[in-house]
Amino acid sequence: MRDESFTERRTIRIVVNGVEAEREVGVRKLLADFIREDLSLTGTHLGCEHGVCGACTVILDGQSVRSCLMLAVQAEGCALETVEGLASDGKLSPLQEAFREEHALQCGFCTSGFLMTARELLKDEPNPDEQQVREVISGNLCRCTGYANIVSAIMRAAATRGVK
Amino acid sequence: MAAVQIPAGTGKLVGARVRRVEDARVLLGKSQFVDDVRLPGTVSIAFVRSPYAHARILKIDTTAARANPGVLAVLTYEDLPELSRALRLEWDPAMPSAPHKLVEWPVLAHEKVRFVGEAVAAIVAEDRYLAEDAAELVEVDYDPLEAVADMERAIEPGAPLVHQEWGDNILQAAGAEFGPVASAFEAADVVISERFSTGRHAALPLEPRGCLASYEAAADLLTMWSSTQIPHILRTNLAAILGAAENRVRVIAPDVGGGFGLKAHVFPEDIVTALAARITGRPVKWIEDRRENLIASMHAKHQIVTASLALDRDGMILGLRARCLSDIGAYTEFPFSSGLEAGVAAAAMPGPYKIPAYQFEAISIATNKATVGAYRGVGMPIAVFVMERLIDIAARRLAIDPAELRMRNMIRREDHPYTNVVGFQIESGSHREALAKALEMLGYEEFRARQTALRSRGRYIGVGIASYIETTAPSTAGWMMLGMRMGGYETATVRVDRAGKVTVLVGTHSHGQSHRTTFAQIAADELGVSLDDVRIEFGDTAKVPYGWGTGGSRSAVVGGGATMKASAVMREKILRIASRATEIPTDHLELRDGAVARKSGGEAVMSLAEVARLAYLPPGGNFAGEQPGLEVAETYEPPLMTHANSTHIVTVEVDTGTGQVRLDRYIVVEDCGTMINPMVVDGQIQGGVAQGIGSAMLEQIVYDGDGQILTGTLMDYLAPTATDVPRVEIAHLESPSPYTLGGIKGMGEGGAIAPPGAIANAVADALAPLGARVDVNEIPLTPERVAATIAKTRNSK
Amino acid sequence: MRMLAEQPDAKILAGGQSLMPMLNLRVAAPAALVDINRVAELSFIEVDGGEIRIGAMTRHRALETSPEIRAALPILARGALEIGHLAIRNRGTIGGSLVHADPAAEWPLLAVLLDAKLVARSTHGARTIAAREFFPGPLTSAIEPDEILTEIRFPILPAATRFGFAEICRRRGDFAIVAVACAIGFDSRNHCVSAEISIGGANPTPMIAAAAGATLKSTNEANAIEAAAEMAAAAADPSSDIHASAEFRRRLVRVLTERALRQCFDTAQVEEALDA
Repeated sequence: MRDESFTERRTIRIVVNGVEAEREVGVRKLLADFIREDLSLTGTHLGCEHGVCGACTVILDGQSVRSCLMLAVQAEGCALETVEGLASDGKLSPLQEAFREEHALQCGFCTSGFLMTARELLKDEPNPDEQQVREVISGNLCRCTGYANIVSAIMRAAATRGVK
Repeated sequence: MAAVQIPAGTGKLVGARVRRVEDARVLLGKSQFVDDVRLPGTVSIAFVRSPYAHARILKIDTTAARANPGVLAVLTYEDLPELSRALRLEWDPAMPSAPHKLVEWPVLAHEKVRFVGEAVAAIVAEDRYLAEDAAELVEVDYDPLEAVADMERAIEPGAPLVHQEWGDNILQAAGAEFGPVASAFEAADVVISERFSTGRHAALPLEPRGCLASYEAAADLLTMWSSTQIPHILRTNLAAILGAAENRVRVIAPDVGGGFGLKAHVFPEDIVTALAARITGRPVKWIEDRRENLIASMHAKHQIVTASLALDRDGMILGLRARCLSDIGAYTEFPFSSGLEAGVAAAAMPGPYKIPAYQFEAISIATNKATVGAYRGVGMPIAVFVMERLIDIAARRLAIDPAELRMRNMIRREDHPYTNVVGFQIESGSHREALAKALEMLGYEEFRARQTALRSRGRYIGVGIASYIETTAPSTAGWMMLGMRMGGYETATVRVDRAGKVTVLVGTHSHGQSHRTTFAQIAADELGVSLDDVRIEFGDTAKVPYGWGTGGSRSAVVGGGATMKASAVMREKILRIASRATEIPTDHLELRDGAVARKSGGEAVMSLAEVARLAYLPPGGNFAGEQPGLEVAETYEPPLMTHANSTHIVTVEVDTGTGQVRLDRYIVVEDCGTMINPMVVDGQIQGGVAQGIGSAMLEQIVYDGDGQILTGTLMDYLAPTATDVPRVEIAHLESPSPYTLGGIKGMGEGGAIAPPGAIANAVADALAPLGARVDVNEIPLTPERVAATIAKTRNSK
Repeated sequence: MRMLAEQPDAKILAGGQSLMPMLNLRVAAPAALVDINRVAELSFIEVDGGEIRIGAMTRHRALETSPEIRAALPILARGALEIGHLAIRNRGTIGGSLVHADPAAEWPLLAVLLDAKLVARSTHGARTIAAREFFPGPLTSAIEPDEILTEIRFPILPAATRFGFAEICRRRGDFAIVAVACAIGFDSRNHCVSAEISIGGANPTPMIAAAAGATLKSTNEANAIEAAAEMAAAAADPSSDIHASAEFRRRLVRVLTERALRQCFDTAQVEEALDA
């Protein structure tokens, strides 16, 4: 039997894709479950729940994190970005567009994790070389694509931005 | 077998690198996987699983679990209706394959558990956290029994029995002899005999298994959303096992996050979840976690093969013998058979070579481990690993270049249609051409020169070749030859609506294979419309025709073929209606740019919307002898089997200090006949190669001697990442099948078939200067194994 | 800290990159979690005289990218980079890694190599523990249940120190099968005057190859490296797991020790040649 404190609920406030949200949440709920169930943002997926596959990667205060390895209450006061925040007015971002151009997704279950990881990479390093891209995305598993097209897509997105 | 005569469409889209229509919603995060489906009042189910590989269940106490907060129901075997208690695979004596034991897989363990992870009880609770809390409170008293975890031990006399009633541990023992095997071996100048073994693999789709069951009592309708590759087969079996009429069960496979064969099965958890929905009256969701996926779903491809190849001194193959032992775990894949693994390995072993005599045994052995099911390529990767290693070893023994030895024995273009030693009719192919092209892409001679130069500096690089034939898209009779009770046909319904837009309903499911794009390319070409004007629907058994699922590289050939056939029949109907209205003969008309037009670039005479008006609601109600409306359903079944071919070449460098293997270049020359979308084909190859690299180098489910599983997380079961998989250099040859619609051959599994053979050959080639006998016959090639091989090789000098 | 004193089964939640998987897999079930992620005072990097002081809650990523660390003790940045993957390094902390005490992890290896000083606090006050006494056994640290690791102090070694690092993992970012770090001090004649070698993954706890280090002092001979590597391998007491057998780990200790040392000595030789 669990300690009663596990059923405790707290109110948390976070900025979700630029919009403030306030929710009451159980203290032991994972951030990933909170995003999917309480915020109804189901674009973030759970592939392992032990921090290896990277499918649940989101951006928290500007940095990529595994949302399965954090409790929702730990995100109190943070700015959260999920895959749903990448496009503006339904128009794909250059990174998303590059994924489509390069056939960088098949079943798409891992895709949002790769997009969020790539987003942090491109923020820190606008012109990565292929080895850098491969090392950064080596924390995300994809079982369909064999990665080459994901690497190409991230390089393409970097090049597109460079032109701007 | 005669091809169905279908006049070509406008042919603009088939063969083009068309961007996928699937992508936008996925990229926007708007996919709908089963865990994204929300029904009001949904509750969660969690399973209590066996910690023992083999034990008697003495007592299950669910009192504490039932009393825990949020718990709605706790189920054990005794709580299940009698009919629904087990998956039961009874062999059909009319099947052409070898006899097979009766297998009963209790959906919740009954009296005994037979592998670690077997479901023993189920908890239904308000949410998953509460269900898992309660699962920890179920007390099960086990009396541990001696387990058998090793397949070779399992067939020794006196081994513990996994199923007492079988009398031994053999699920199925098949065997056959073709041609004069004994005399071939007697006449041989060289006989190569080796023992090979492969790791036990997990298919590991990124989305684990899961389903959501909802029972509407008032309508007596069970709806199950399931992450499955086989929605109709699941429906049929759910209905049978639940005792429901099949028309009162609806299965919806929404977006599915990869399957690779794992999701082409019906699982005990599916049945229990459906029962839980009936019992509680609430929608019940089961989403397994990765640990369950790794220990309790299914494994694959675990074989030990002893094989001998007989050759003359010129390197011509005279005969082949193979004994394939397959460790199938505790039960059988349902509703097919885990005997498939060994059977396919044995059948595929001759590959692209002309082999006059062949004798095989294929023995499927039960052990106290998770059940073996389908995973990309099934037995083919093992077959290719064995055959290609044998050829390389023979080449070294005979001092013939391994590429040359292959060339001498390969089926030539002019030999087609070639009936191989086991009776498969290879309709067309480019075996020698693919090998030659791959060697040219590598720069084989230059590589050999560089290899010699580097060896003198203490660096060990090597090149490995693996060529294969991929048997794809079996017909119903073809599946039965392989021991599978499975249909080999598909039906497509093509609908042109009143606005002239096209919807195609197909029975095959897509979970990454891009059918929304490739099938739309086919239909758009046949009907002369743009890709945007075609929508492909699949996955909902209430909407689409009965289908046999996606697997065996069958969808493009069979589902694509059905789409093509139905679209062609639709085209003829449209042309007849337009011809009557315009009084232009049908053979002067074609479909182009969304309209009926005069042939050879002539003007448009009628839009599809106008044709639709005449078909649906003609002025005066005169349908002129046509069936009203524009809806066509056609069924297509290809010939017995369809064969793609390919050569993979890989170069590696081996670190002789640590045993680490670094992949350098990976080249694939692929021939899958007519390509619908080369971009998609390339994507399948690159992805398949990545999985094959995993099998060859990293992935292995490990059990200890007591049947305890040691690889229950992704920190232990190592899937390849972006730093493990090189960019594959791909070239295509196209030898269309003369027998299938459009000349299409399957290719989805192909990429995964050759890497173990190619990489093992490359490592052996790199280490060749170290000693006379390089034994690279076990995968995965872990650094430790390679280091051990190096030590052994040095000793053999 | 009061909570830790009152609730003996409480666990501190630092970056959570090891503890959270254990909770999710239900292999750990503490009675309470004490989240210290918001204790800002525990996250800092200060170069102060002869040492680098690092707050226990400093993230791997901050250590990997810190210019101060790269300048003062680059081996720390290198070690941080080898940890897991970007999203793991963004959350995981040096203190959490040390207290988790995985014998193959980078921070225990480097803390032992440099004999860092670890500061632990409780309601009773603070104490300093030498890194070489911090790991009593596998996955065990010297931190008491009522204590928090607050700070790690690495000594800054003389400028003429060269570092070597060699590890083998099954995949990039995995825990090493074996990892070797070394810090070799040279005098003005490029002769080795100090040699520290630490080895992870070969023993239940990170190991110091003391005898191997001793043979290297005052020598530049190539065969001393081989001899030191053999001694390190002989001193290792590895065990077997699914990733490698004990025998193979011992072999790797030898090969990787030799490689890590060569990174230091070969540079020395190269520079000597350039000077001449």
